[in-house]
Amino acid sequence: MKTNKVFSLRSLCDLCASAVKILSLATLATLASAGSFKDSYKLENIKLPEGIPPEVGGLAFDPEGELYVCLRRSDVFRATPTSNPDEFDWKLFASGFHNGCGIVAPEPGKIVVSQMAELTSAQDTDGDGLADSYRNLADGWGLSGNYHETNDVCSDGKGGYFLAIGTASYNGPTFEHTKGEYSKIGRRGRNFSSVKYRGWIMHLDKDGTLTPWASGFRMHNGITTDPDGETWCSDNQGDWKAITPFYHIEKGNFYGHPSSLVWDKDWPADKDPLLTYRNDLDAYNKHRTKAAVLIPHGFCRSGAKPIIIPRDGSFGEYFAGQFILPDNNGTRLCRIMIEKVDGVYQGMATYLLEGGGLRSGNNRPVFSPDGKQLYIGQTVRGWGKPAEGLQRLSFSGGTPFDLATINITKDGFRLNFTKTIPELKADDIQISSATYQPRWTYGSGPDGKRDHKVTSIKTDGKQSATISLEDFEPERLYEIKLPSLKDSDGNEIHNRTFYYTVHKIPGA
Amino acid sequence: MKFFCLLFFSALHLPAAEPIIFDNLPLGSEESPLILRTYMPDPDLDPAYFAHHGTGANSPKYNPGKGDDVGGEYKPIKGLPATIGVNHGPALSYAFDTIECRIAYSWQGGFLDMYPYWGDPERGNRLKYNYVPHLVGILFHKADPISKIHIDGKPFTELADPKYIGYDMKDGSPVFRFSRGGHEFSMSILPNKETPLSFNLAISSPTVKSITYGDDVSTRSGNVMKRTITGTRIATFQGFPRDTKIKEATVANGQLLFDSLGCSACHSIDGSLGHGPTLAGLYDSERMIEESKKPIKADTAYLLESIKTPNAKTAKTFPQNYMPPYKLSDPEYQSLVLFIQSVAKGE
Repeated sequence: MKTNKVFSLRSLCDLCASAVKILSLATLATLASAGSFKDSYKLENIKLPEGIPPEVGGLAFDPEGELYVCLRRSDVFRATPTSNPDEFDWKLFASGFHNGCGIVAPEPGKIVVSQMAELTSAQDTDGDGLADSYRNLADGWGLSGNYHETNDVCSDGKGGYFLAIGTASYNGPTFEHTKGEYSKIGRRGRNFSSVKYRGWIMHLDKDGTLTPWASGFRMHNGITTDPDGETWCSDNQGDWKAITPFYHIEKGNFYGHPSSLVWDKDWPADKDPLLTYRNDLDAYNKHRTKAAVLIPHGFCRSGAKPIIIPRDGSFGEYFAGQFILPDNNGTRLCRIMIEKVDGVYQGMATYLLEGGGLRSGNNRPVFSPDGKQLYIGQTVRGWGKPAEGLQRLSFSGGTPFDLATINITKDGFRLNFTKTIPELKADDIQISSATYQPRWTYGSGPDGKRDHKVTSIKTDGKQSATISLEDFEPERLYEIKLPSLKDSDGNEIHNRTFYYTVHKIPGA
Repeated sequence: MKFFCLLFFSALHLPAAEPIIFDNLPLGSEESPLILRTYMPDPDLDPAYFAHHGTGANSPKYNPGKGDDVGGEYKPIKGLPATIGVNHGPALSYAFDTIECRIAYSWQGGFLDMYPYWGDPERGNRLKYNYVPHLVGILFHKADPISKIHIDGKPFTELADPKYIGYDMKDGSPVFRFSRGGHEFSMSILPNKETPLSFNLAISSPTVKSITYGDDVSTRSGNVMKRTITGTRIATFQGFPRDTKIKEATVANGQLLFDSLGCSACHSIDGSLGHGPTLAGLYDSERMIEESKKPIKADTAYLLESIKTPNAKTAKTFPQNYMPPYKLSDPEYQSLVLFIQSVAKGE
């Protein structure tokens, strides 16, 4: 509809050139951006209560549509969202949490917060709007006294929870007396696991049984479960994390950061996992589970909590079912598409949004119940230069011009766009690939980087192009760079750089 | 005195639970305590206190640039990892330990200085290593290695497997719940308005026969015990030592100190009621004090003494021991006096 309106105005302009003169510059700018990303997605700053440190550790909607914001110094506020971002009626709901960096609101008037020492429920039992019953749901992990040991929580979809138990940093100390057993071996390293289950994912079932689920995380600052019950998380690039990974989580797997192995019942006691794998990368590579998707450093720096875009298209039909991965260290929201090839998850990464008024410090995303609005909580305080607050990205319909998905083929990729694309030539598209070996160093550069000649390209005259590559091999990260493309309304394509992690090539 | 205090407290409308703001000296109030879960200082608790904690150790210094140990060791620092700090204003603060399921210690006259942990609002930087918040006030009670509370004749600390359950808010204050030795307990700690350096402890369990305190059976009432615990001054703390670099006594420097030391939590400058006397009109006025039947003059010497040794003279209707003594440099003392004088003059 918007396109038709633009078209009719443009026709009018063609017929009467003098009319252009009476259109203000602002009106022209609006016309030129019709069909752009900004036309479909509006970014706003949400005003939090005056004077409150707006350090958003967690965001959740309860089943009745109340928004809960967990702030890292102590307090949880709630409000019914309003269309005016300055008019949220924030009320204090609960308080007293130690660096709460995860929140779920399973029932109206009840929240579950992952604070440093414990997973805590807080419930308003007398209906006065303030939580009055605080319960320890689980605390079967340690706390060393290090500032870095924050945790996130997500629902498991079955009445229980998954927890991402964060590690300590060598930028801070540990205490003389710790919560839980202390491991001197686990203390070694840049990010470390001196007390139980730091660097693990834990599962708490609905009956209250806590189980160590998966190990090998450096700082998996955020965890999510999709509607199929599959669990996903990212990790922070650094030691033993070559670049930003996006993992599919399965019970019993080791995801690559060795320190957490000191708490693995199958790891030999007194064997230093960090030194063991520093000296034996072959054994390390056999043990570790690779990321489904990798994103090079610089494109994403510190992956935070992922969230799946509603599958019903309420946040745009072309991105439905993909993941958003906020970058805690940049003004970026990554967009990740997953496909399963020969039973293995792999896929593509690009941006949903970069810049455009987005703050850095992107930490926690949550969708409004109608799926049309994405709330993004930001915080960096204590870890880096503060970038704190709450923003909202609202979908208003329409289709921005972008590459929506990439599907792997037996000899290359099929690129699927949101709008009809012009004919493309083979040398329009630049493709290179590399591998990345995690090791003790703070991040790893590319190994064996090479360019791939596009040997053929077929556009279907509609929204897809299929490309074949020279030297197409699995277990590599492919960078795909598009030329400047415009849709029929003259809108520049929203993204031109894409990364596809190839584990499996179909039919290979 | 008691009558006066009761009147005073019932007449004073203290604010309801307030959220945390950009203030590194947060305070609750008598009726609506502030509950803050945070790393907390360890004021030299007896090593036996930590029966259910893990034991940290020195560890090899690791250089992440080299990926190897480089000689030397990290030393663990003092701190409590899993306590809940509760503050009833200047009347009472205590640390409830969710690991030992005990009150680790109690103090009066302030709460915590969060500056080392929260940092300043602009930069948001914690202190790199010694970021444990500092105490503010007079420490008067530390947990005994072996608890004086006896459950069915046995010291409370001998009951195995402390397990923290949570807390319920009752009349605005938390009632902690935990289990030990297979029994579930409820515990509340409230300010005692009558006796300085005290708190009122109530502990109960539906499945035990008796709860007593040491040899004193006067408080015994089946499976419920209510008792006032009175301590003595153990140490005084005034938060994180800020390097104010004050070399000269000025009104502006006095205001800086007034704000950074948290004086405004108790002393208003506009005449409104607070935990301590207002500074409005204070200087050069005639004051009634507890220690004398005749009024005395709030002159410069009185102001200085009230900052250096606040309990030497206690203003009538105000409780003792709410204000800790402040150790400052001479230009800092003089700056505060100048500021108080300027407030009185309405400058």
